[in-house]
Amino acid sequence: MNASHVWLVIAQEFRIRLRTGRWRWLLGAWLVLLTLFTLLLDLGLHTGYAYVPDNSLRGVPLFGFLMFFILGSMLVISPALTAQTINGDRERGTLATLQVTRLRPAEIATGKLLASWSVGLVALALSIPFAAYAMTQGGINLVRTAAVYGVVALLIGTVCAVSQALSALLARSITSALLSYVVTAALAVGTLIAFGLGLQLTRERVVVEQPYGGSYEYWESRPERVWWLLAPNPFVILADAAPRVPPRVTRSGDLVMVEYYDPLSSIGNEVRRLRQPHGSMYYMGMNEYYDEHGNPVTPPEERPVWPYGLAFSILLGAGSLAVTIRRLHTPSDRLPRGVRVA
Amino acid sequence: MEPGHNQRGVVAPLDTPGVVVTDVWRFFGDFPALAGMSFTAPYGQVTALVGPNGAGKTTLLLILASLLKPNRGRAVVAGCDPTVDPAGVRANTGWMPDAFGVYDQLTVREYLQFFGRAYNLDRATVDTRARELLDLVHLAEFTDRPVHVLSRGQKQRLALTRALVHRPRVLLLDEPASGLDPRSRVELRDILRDLAAQGAAVLVSSHILTELEEIADRVVLVAGGRTVGEFAMADLREQAVRPYRVRALDRAPLVSALQDKGIEHSTVNGAVELAQLTSAQAADALAGLVTAGVRVVAFEPLGSDLESMYLAMTEERR
Repeated sequence: MNASHVWLVIAQEFRIRLRTGRWRWLLGAWLVLLTLFTLLLDLGLHTGYAYVPDNSLRGVPLFGFLMFFILGSMLVISPALTAQTINGDRERGTLATLQVTRLRPAEIATGKLLASWSVGLVALALSIPFAAYAMTQGGINLVRTAAVYGVVALLIGTVCAVSQALSALLARSITSALLSYVVTAALAVGTLIAFGLGLQLTRERVVVEQPYGGSYEYWESRPERVWWLLAPNPFVILADAAPRVPPRVTRSGDLVMVEYYDPLSSIGNEVRRLRQPHGSMYYMGMNEYYDEHGNPVTPPEERPVWPYGLAFSILLGAGSLAVTIRRLHTPSDRLPRGVRVA
Repeated sequence: MEPGHNQRGVVAPLDTPGVVVTDVWRFFGDFPALAGMSFTAPYGQVTALVGPNGAGKTTLLLILASLLKPNRGRAVVAGCDPTVDPAGVRANTGWMPDAFGVYDQLTVREYLQFFGRAYNLDRATVDTRARELLDLVHLAEFTDRPVHVLSRGQKQRLALTRALVHRPRVLLLDEPASGLDPRSRVELRDILRDLAAQGAAVLVSSHILTELEEIADRVVLVAGGRTVGEFAMADLREQAVRPYRVRALDRAPLVSALQDKGIEHSTVNGAVELAQLTSAQAADALAGLVTAGVRVVAFEPLGSDLESMYLAMTEERR
């Protein structure tokens, strides 16, 4: 792959997109939306949100909810960035003239993807001031912010790559745009449904013999067998990859009070708990661990979920790019139904 | 890359034609769009690919432009096989499709710069080349205007400059004259003739026959995905038969002279028309009339060589 060719395609995509001028309105609307959300969230936390143990940590839930909102919005925006890049060009009659130049399919596909991705990253960058505001509210450090932004940036790239592959596979841009949203929804919501349904299938009957004769039975779910269904979920990846904010632990006598106030850590801890071997009962994300009788025990091995999710995303993105490149390869042997070369 | 070299640096022998098509087949589903087409388009000449709609002209040009694989048969363009060495074909071939889009948001200069760079020309070369080409097609005044202000014909001319930007040795033009006004057509003809004179192999598809007659050196007639005939334009002119219209000061001596000489004729709208004659027969007929003392004021061929040939050829196939 020739870097100057990729740059040429990126520059071309930008020129074509930016001159339409619509982006000003879209980015403006995005800023208004972010402002409204942050403002309302902030006001809501001010009026006494149960999660916040004291006001010096108010930035933690503020940041957590804000990042969920930003990720959700980016999942809506990203398919639109690439869903028409290939078949839209074909419909406009500009793809074939590009394919007969010295640009290779990989250069065209990569250039177009990088251009769309960077538009998504610009939208993401616009949210940085709002995250910075959350940081000033306490409890969030730069490492956490950087890690979370890195994950969102990568997920935007994955969604862009999948949408682009769909636009290369399908003849009509309206179909590929629609299907891009279906895929995104499958990742964000479909994984939850799959997990919920899968969990039911893991249920096992447990028979307990009672010491004085007789027995009783109950059904038990085995989430450690289906936790992986949640791994591709972008929100799970984001939550679990975010460096943990420890819960606040207060003690008075024998009473230990554990307060969770970070939505990211809570979800992250929950999915890690699903991975724990059968029969263990641990509270995750703390420095100290207790068994069911309140006795301190050695901490269990942490089993993060996000590496699987992130690896899945990267593979999905890379696979999608490979599909796009393949579909752009000419001379083509077979044409998909309804596709005209030029 | 120097013209004449393909991707592997092998020098294509210049005595081979720019385009050689040998028994090329291409199916879309069960339908054979090309059913064994064969012809050649030599360097230094304009070859016209003539045939009715659906004859396979566009499909063939897609194969030659390295966009589509033939199912059977072989094509060689500028010394390279588009299936095996598409990059070699692309380096030496300019292709202009019949329907195409332009990037409306770009200026004319940016449009050409982009494609020049996409054909591996450096920035300085692209700039000079863009100026040359825009002068050539009389679009220089639009250099810094956005492409969307151009008319259809002007866009067509811009697309021609795109196809020429990397100085291809083989030029593949699909219906280049459609949408052009008469002046632009004359200019297109001159441009194509110049390119051929400079040694390029120019392959033009069209069904507008009258204009091809003035452009083409060679004609390949195609129908139903097959080559029906391949002619040099000069031979075609000699062989072609067509009707002639004769006008004389007085009609009576003209008609009697024709009857004397046994030349088949008819009267249409007050003018006398002679039935199908070759050029030689027509010349003899005219000489005969003049020596017989008929005061001829007009003796003109009707239709064009190509048109009559085309009609005859497609008639046979029915």
